[in-house]
Amino acid sequence: MFGRGRGAMAAWAQRFWDDLKNSTDASLLSILRFLGLLYGPIDTELPIDRAFRKSLRHRLSRYAGWRQAFGGITYLLFIVLVVTGVLLSFYYRPSAEEAYQSVQHIVSGVTMGWLMRDAHVWAANLIVIAALVHMARVFFGAAYKPPRETNWLVGLLLLFVIFAFGSTGYLLPWDQWAYWTVTEGLGVLHHVPLVGGGMVEILRGDPIISGATLSRFFALHVIVLPWIAMGLLVLHFTLVRKHGVAPPARPGAEDVGPGDQAGVPFFPDHFLRSLIVGVLVLSLVITLAALYPRDVAAAANPAQPPRSLRSTWIVADVSRGLIYHLGGWGFLGFLLLGGLMVLLPLFDRSPERRLRKRPIVGALGVIFFLGFAAAWAAGWQLRSRPISASGELAPFEQPLAKPGLALPHMTPVTPAPAPVDTSHTGGVR
Amino acid sequence: MRVVAGAVALAVLSARAPAQQVVPVQGIAGMDTTNGCLVCHAAQRQAAAEGVHSQHGVECVSCHGGNAAARTLPDAHQGGFTGTLNKVQTAELCGSCHSDPNRMREYGLPTGELAQFRTSRHGQLLFGSHNTDAPTCTDCHGTHIIYPPYDARSRVYPTNIPSTCAHCHADEKLMARYQLRTDQFDHFRGSAHGVALFQQQNFAAPTCISCHGAHSALPPTGSEVANVCGRCHALVDQAFSSGPHGVAAETGKLRGCLACHSNHSTEGVPIENIGPTCDKCHAADTRLHQIGVDLQHSVAQASEDMQSAKRAVDQLAVAGQQVGYYQFRYQEAQTYYLQIAQAQHGLDLNKVDDLARRVRSVSISLNDAANASQENRWEHKLILLPVWFLSLSAVVLAWLALRSLRRMRDEQREG
Repeated sequence: MFGRGRGAMAAWAQRFWDDLKNSTDASLLSILRFLGLLYGPIDTELPIDRAFRKSLRHRLSRYAGWRQAFGGITYLLFIVLVVTGVLLSFYYRPSAEEAYQSVQHIVSGVTMGWLMRDAHVWAANLIVIAALVHMARVFFGAAYKPPRETNWLVGLLLLFVIFAFGSTGYLLPWDQWAYWTVTEGLGVLHHVPLVGGGMVEILRGDPIISGATLSRFFALHVIVLPWIAMGLLVLHFTLVRKHGVAPPARPGAEDVGPGDQAGVPFFPDHFLRSLIVGVLVLSLVITLAALYPRDVAAAANPAQPPRSLRSTWIVADVSRGLIYHLGGWGFLGFLLLGGLMVLLPLFDRSPERRLRKRPIVGALGVIFFLGFAAAWAAGWQLRSRPISASGELAPFEQPLAKPGLALPHMTPVTPAPAPVDTSHTGGVR
Repeated sequence: MRVVAGAVALAVLSARAPAQQVVPVQGIAGMDTTNGCLVCHAAQRQAAAEGVHSQHGVECVSCHGGNAAARTLPDAHQGGFTGTLNKVQTAELCGSCHSDPNRMREYGLPTGELAQFRTSRHGQLLFGSHNTDAPTCTDCHGTHIIYPPYDARSRVYPTNIPSTCAHCHADEKLMARYQLRTDQFDHFRGSAHGVALFQQQNFAAPTCISCHGAHSALPPTGSEVANVCGRCHALVDQAFSSGPHGVAAETGKLRGCLACHSNHSTEGVPIENIGPTCDKCHAADTRLHQIGVDLQHSVAQASEDMQSAKRAVDQLAVAGQQVGYYQFRYQEAQTYYLQIAQAQHGLDLNKVDDLARRVRSVSISLNDAANASQENRWEHKLILLPVWFLSLSAVVLAWLALRSLRRMRDEQREG
């Protein structure tokens, strides 16, 4: 009786599955393919399950292998950010009144909330490193050369989107670090000629960073940027398939284009490689989140800048390092160098791929990538310096009221000695 | 950026400044063109338009006499013209209105100033011996342009009072004639009162006149001191009066608060100096001296507990805990701690110990909460064990599968 019931269940499930297969168009798989989760072409003549298997068994280019790992890692971190971000959005409240408390609640009240939050923070930083390493690989391997120059530009746009994601997300915890790091960041943006001031006005929505700014940054972070990123990613993946994997920069490696199928099948060979890399990256994210959680600083206070400011966002560290050591012009120069990266495929069109034969481009790359790393290290060193070091907020460091209003006929008043710190005793000495 | 800084600074300043009455300044338009005095005395034009007197219709002739409608000098200086008044006359002239309750009623001003001034050392010198070193009304309030005390331009605005007094009292040559010290202002500026007044713009803080009196300025006598301080430090005064030192102060054996604290610099006795301060009167190894040593021990313990409680609250905040409740407990401890400051003035060792124990109890419970949260945070790391076990297993399995796949493909190629 029990066995017969089970048999009926199995038969029903089989029928349901067959029904689903026969009624579903195989071209639905193109969505997975668009999202970069499936590599091979979809044979839409076949039923969906066979089309799926056929696509899985698709053989890759002979050049596909471990070299391409960092692009995949970047995408994996993006997925981690999407998943943890969606989980965080269940608890986060984007208003100046509730944001800080909701982050406190996430960290100390929600089960595994700390993991969601710290994994999100760490993945946000790691994705910058992964994207830059991916970019460096493409750069030094000359994979940006025709016909792949469009994808190089799309990749740079994606890098910019990553920076925008982090910069908008940084305000959301609404604590002192967030508030004043973004204040500093908008101050930097303000210095951009012509458009800087207007952009700051639009982004901030108020004379100072306030609830209006928080709403804008939240909307950008969870609505606008994800759709832009998704569109660019789909384009990025499609273009990879269109032009195939670039050959390595060694003599004799020809560009075999998209048709090449001399490599291993996507499944299981390449899938297993991806699994190894992916599992290690996920473990790394969780490890960093568990060992180095981001502290919750005091709640944002527009009237009281902190004595020292620590950012936990690479881009903030990099800009601080650049501005502090090289000044505004150095920062602008580095931005221009980044701009040169956009134009790179326009002036570097020779088919030469070996780095030794491309000394100018090679030097440019070394300056950009090593410069980024150096500025990051410098900004990291500076992170605990008082913010008056940036020069922008110096007026706050001075006492608000001058002691004593001396009238002309009166004894000149000299500044009073510093009061004894009695904060922990409520003024009792 | 600079705009932000300015906006924030403005917001902060306006939040801090006390509500002040806005006094409209009358310009040329409001000037009385029929006032003939100003034809010659052009330097006083501003005085005729500005200041509280001109606004309430007090004109040149109201104080100086004469005829403002006259067009020639002899005519103008007719009819009770007084010219420049000396200091005694000045005080009496001001008093002619300001001591008259019927005239002051509409402005809600007190009328006792001149009577008070006569009792002050200043008034005694001026009226008694016609000593013009002593100030008269105009020396502190201004001569022709007189602003009300709530106007920041006034010399008797709270933050300006100390420098107004110091104008004479910091003058060494002048004060040498009366064997008075000149360091009061410097001491006051560094004191808790001075810091509150100048740096925090706290107008509840006392200025010179709060203890000495304004018009009736005199130093409080030894037996008055405790009462003067006690007007603000009421609870400390209560404890002090009920203790043995209070009795001693009443009988004149002890200089009240000044026995341990100084007057103008008002420094508190640091915790590590409580015992040594007792040395001034009580020889070491006496029973009474031991009370001071015990007191110091209890207060020091409570102070350490307060600091540790604060560290615990900070630690909880950094770990993302909602610290409202813990801050409430910390406030509670702070209340006990402040009560210790009161109780120690009554030398009530039992009460101080009891309060110190309460501080300690709060501090311990806050530290327990902080430790629990740290432990909880540490336990997060345990998740790494299953994560790395699973991930390394997956990696090893995938690696083995990959290797066998490669071997299979090699065999296929050879075969």
